[in-house]
Formats: sequence, structure tokens, C-alpha cells
Amino acid sequence: MTRRSSNAVPMLVVALAAIALYFPAMIWLNASQAQKLLSRGAELKCGDALACAFNLRSPIIPAPNQLLEDIPRLYWPLTDSTTVPYNAFFTGLETLLGLLLGALIGLGLAVLLTSSKAFERAVLPWLVASQTVPIIAIAPMLAVLLGANGVQGLLPKVLISAYIAFFPIAIGVAKGFRSPDPLQLDLMRTYNASPQQTFSSLRFPASVPFLFTAFKIAMAAALIGAIVAESSTITDAGLGRMLSENSRASDARGLWLVMIGSAVLGIVLVSLVGVVERLVTPWQRER
Amino acid sequence: MATRTVASRQIGSSLHAGLAVALLIAGLALMLVVISSNAALTDMWGAGAMLGVYAGLALGLGGVMMLSSVVVRILERPRAKDDKDWLWRQVVSLLPALLLALVVIVAVEGLVRGFAVPFAQIPPPSAVLAKLFEARAVLLRDTQITLLETLVGFAVGGTLGFFTAVFTQRFPFLERGLMPYATLFSSIPIVALAPVVIKTMGVDWESKAVVVGITVFFPILLNTARGLAEVNPLQLDLMRSYAAAPSRVFADLRIPNALPFIFNGVKTSAVLGLIAAIVAEFFGANGAGLGFRIVVEIGTANLDTVWAAINIASLVGITVYNGLALLERRVTGWHSSFRSDS
Repeated sequence: MTRRSSNAVPMLVVALAAIALYFPAMIWLNASQAQKLLSRGAELKCGDALACAFNLRSPIIPAPNQLLEDIPRLYWPLTDSTTVPYNAFFTGLETLLGLLLGALIGLGLAVLLTSSKAFERAVLPWLVASQTVPIIAIAPMLAVLLGANGVQGLLPKVLISAYIAFFPIAIGVAKGFRSPDPLQLDLMRTYNASPQQTFSSLRFPASVPFLFTAFKIAMAAALIGAIVAESSTITDAGLGRMLSENSRASDARGLWLVMIGSAVLGIVLVSLVGVVERLVTPWQRER
Repeated sequence: MATRTVASRQIGSSLHAGLAVALLIAGLALMLVVISSNAALTDMWGAGAMLGVYAGLALGLGGVMMLSSVVVRILERPRAKDDKDWLWRQVVSLLPALLLALVVIVAVEGLVRGFAVPFAQIPPPSAVLAKLFEARAVLLRDTQITLLETLVGFAVGGTLGFFTAVFTQRFPFLERGLMPYATLFSSIPIVALAPVVIKTMGVDWESKAVVVGITVFFPILLNTARGLAEVNPLQLDLMRSYAAAPSRVFADLRIPNALPFIFNGVKTSAVLGLIAAIVAEFFGANGAGLGFRIVVEIGTANLDTVWAAINIASLVGITVYNGLALLERRVTGWHSSFRSDS
């Protein structure tokens, strides 16, 4: 814990260095863009290229004054359907529900995987292969398929993010179920414990740390699933909808703010898993 | 006595295997007969035929599970000293999974045809296979573009990640300042990044390569840094008593030690990079690319092409991952994670 607080100064320095890099890059890229526009004979109100760098309509990298200008437009009022927080709420909700559903499926699958060697042989290679497969490619098609069968509202997005999320959970938890060492399993056998008892009092507690690592990976994946699902269906809320609408409307400045909003949502959701982990497994806190 | 039990066990297991194969063949045959009879769920005969598909699926699944338990027993037998049967074992260990896929695909074909599922929702697997061959020129071009994006992005992002990790190892201040951000970045959805990059850089392949590069940078950085840091202090002491120069310590101790971690990062981020390229193509591409193909063909309800593109993407993912895993085996075969089990 004391180490973390001592990271503050280096982190601040790195952040300042990033800002110091951002200004020249922003001015250089935007000024050359403005120069190009001016040389093409476009009438810009701001005068010369350097001054225009801060006021381009679609900048290469938006200037800080532009971002600040747009924050009230896109982040307030909270309940308006064109603002980032409103849409982030729905995306977050879909992600959380998707993760819960995915966790249920993943846990069930993990139990099956650990209790039957034959099932594992036939199914596990596909689960492993699915990790190396861009599953997200199926998301737009699932969205169409679900839409055609009358599944509407939040549900299709939840189903897709659950679909993306359950693989990492199944793999991670199955690994956790197998993590008790042979001595402990032998002890359970000498106690004449039934398979259920071995599960509930040895395998399940042993899998808890693996469970949370898997949840963190699955949460990030589920969020991507929810956003892709939103951008490939006709929806009325969600960051994915904002992304595809703004990119169609060529609203570069808006896109930047939606991107920042999604990044914050991702960080919040993953750290939420961390908070739950600390509450559920207090004995792990020292590590 | 001992020989008799071994013999009887072998007879038992070959009976078991024979039964499994018989079930499997019966199930597959039943389903194929129904499929070739072109039955549809419109009359009594069709309903009976569909029951045939269900029965065939059940038989096939039962056969696969039985065969799988036989395979488990075969693989539990002690391994020969030389690795001569390595390939054979590999084939046997994959057999249940391949047969499971075969049974499921044939069942899907039967069900999709029987229930007359609209082509615009689920195309029958045979149509996807036909499309894979028919549209091979277009799909090959798409695959090339997506691979180009992935490879260039991976090479640049990975190299940057590696050297950043080396720097953070040399300068602990940088490590403490940079690493928390790197972990933070791993929870950011790349989908949100893609439209911004494509808007600023245009729809050509370079913009997607940049998205891949950003995606790949952080896992490589994190894994390499962890690998470089995890050095046995005793070995460091030994290097010091040899009066080894820092560059020698780095080349002879830290890098070899980090290799398993680096390979882990390379394997996972290669797959992540492929996914990033495909997702980025959803948001804009210049007429080619697997992700582009998927989105465009969904728009015109050509789902056979969509599935064909998905299959190619999967094949590329599996090939890249396993190719890298094979390379890892060759390069870091000495490492304990390969010596102990598997």
C-alpha cells in the first residue's frame, strides 16, 4: 500500500510529459492541416494556419479549448439521450448483465469440464480455439439474427456480451477448480468426501482468485461486445450507437469525447471487479 | 495374472471403442439419410424425419463422448521415452473434438433444412462451404488486407512495447510512472478507439494498422517488463561475482529469463491484434478486409459469405496462435513449463 502512494510522483511526471508531447503534436498536425485547407483556397475565419490549429472544424487532434467547449455539450444534462453519461449508463448496464449471464454459463461449463474427462477432451479444444478466434466477428451477425426473431431492447446486447464473456470465465474457473494440489485432494478422499463436498469445500474456494482474474478479462471483453452489438443494431441508447452516429456524421470532436467516455467506463467497470474482489476475499489483500 | 488383467482390459477397451465408433457412424448415417431425403417439417413424414435428426444427434453425441473416454484412457498410458509417437498422440488427442464438430455441423445442416430456417438468418453449413470455394478470390484479398494490417501493426506496436519495457527496466522511475497507466489501458475498449483513428487517418489499411499497434503495445509492454523483472537474485549475484557488464547481464540473464513471458505476450497480443483489425474494419475500410466483408455482406443479407469470412478469420487466428506456440516450444523448450507436464 505504501508503494502505491509513492508511485504518484512518477505517474504525475509521465502524465506531464504526455501533455508536453501532446501540445506540439497537436499544433503541428492541425497547423499543417489548416495550411492545406488555406492553400486550397478555403476561407477560414481564424486567419493564419497557426491560429487555426486551435479552431479547426474537424481537427486531426482536437485542441484542449475545443474539448472543454464540447464537454458541456456532450456530458450535460445527464438524462439527455444525446449525452455520453446517459449512453454510458445503458452500455454499462448491458455489460454488467451480460457478464452475470456469462458468468452463470461459464461456471456451469467449468463444473462440467472438471467433472468429466471425456467431456473435457471433446469440448476443451474448441474452447481454447475460441480464444484464438475473433469471436467479436460474430456479434454483428448475432445482432441481425436476434433482431429478425423479435428479440428487442437491452436483451440482444446482453446476450452478445454474455456470449463474448463466458469463454474467459469458463477457462479461468476450470483452471481454478484444478488448482488444489494433489495432497489436498487426497485429504478429501481420506475424509471420504463426496464429489459435491470436494467441490463446495475445496475446489470452489480454491478457484476464487482465478474467478476474479477471469472476471476482469471477461468484463473488458463484454464491454467490447456490448459496444459492437450497439453499433450494429438499430438501438436508441448506448456508446456504440453514439460512435457509429458520430462517425457517420463526421463529428471528429464528438468522437474523441465518446472515446474518452468509453475509456472511463471501461476503467470503472474493471476496477469495480477489483473492489468486489477486495470485499469478497479480504485474506488476499496483503498481497 | 497380471498379463490376463491387462489383456482383458485391452479387450474391454477395444469393445468400448468399437461400440463408440458404431454409435457415431449410426448417428451420422441417420442424419445424412434424413438430409438427403430433403424432408421438411410440413407433414407427418417430415416430422418423423426430424425426429430422425434428433435421434442421430443423440447417437452421435453419445458416440463422441464414449470415444472421448477411450481416448482419455489411451493418453493416460505411460509415454514412450522417445518422442516418436508425439504426432500420433497429438492426432488422437484432437480426434474427439474434431468428431464433435462434425456431428454438430451435420445436425445443424439437418435442422436448418428441416425447419426451413430463412437463408437470411442461418445459412446451411453446406452453403457456407460452397461459398468459401466460390468467393475464394475476394476472400483471399480480404484476408491479405487484414493480415497486412495485423502484421504491420503488430511489428511496430510490439517493437515499441518491447523497447519501452527495456527502458522501464533500466529506469525504475519510468516503471513506477508508466506501468500503472499500462494496466489502466488494458481495460479500455478498443472499439471506441477505432472510429477516431479512422476519422483522422482515413479508410486505408494504415489506420487499422495503427489501431492494431496501440492494442498490441500494452500487453507486450506488460509481459516483457514482468519477464525482465523476474530474475532470481542468486543468479544476479552470480553475474556480479563474474563482474559481468550490465549489457551482458541483460543479454545472458534477463532476456532468456523473460522469453517465456514475452512469448505469452506475443501469443495473446497477436490474437488481440487480429481482433482489433477486424473490429476496426467494422468502422471503415477501403473496399477489402475480413471485418469489412462481414459488415457489408450482413447489410445485403448474404449470410453465407459472412460465415465464410468468419471461418477464415477463425482459421487465421488458430493458425497464428499455434504457429507461435510451436515457435515457443522450439525457442524456450528448456523452460520448466514444458518439462513438467504436457
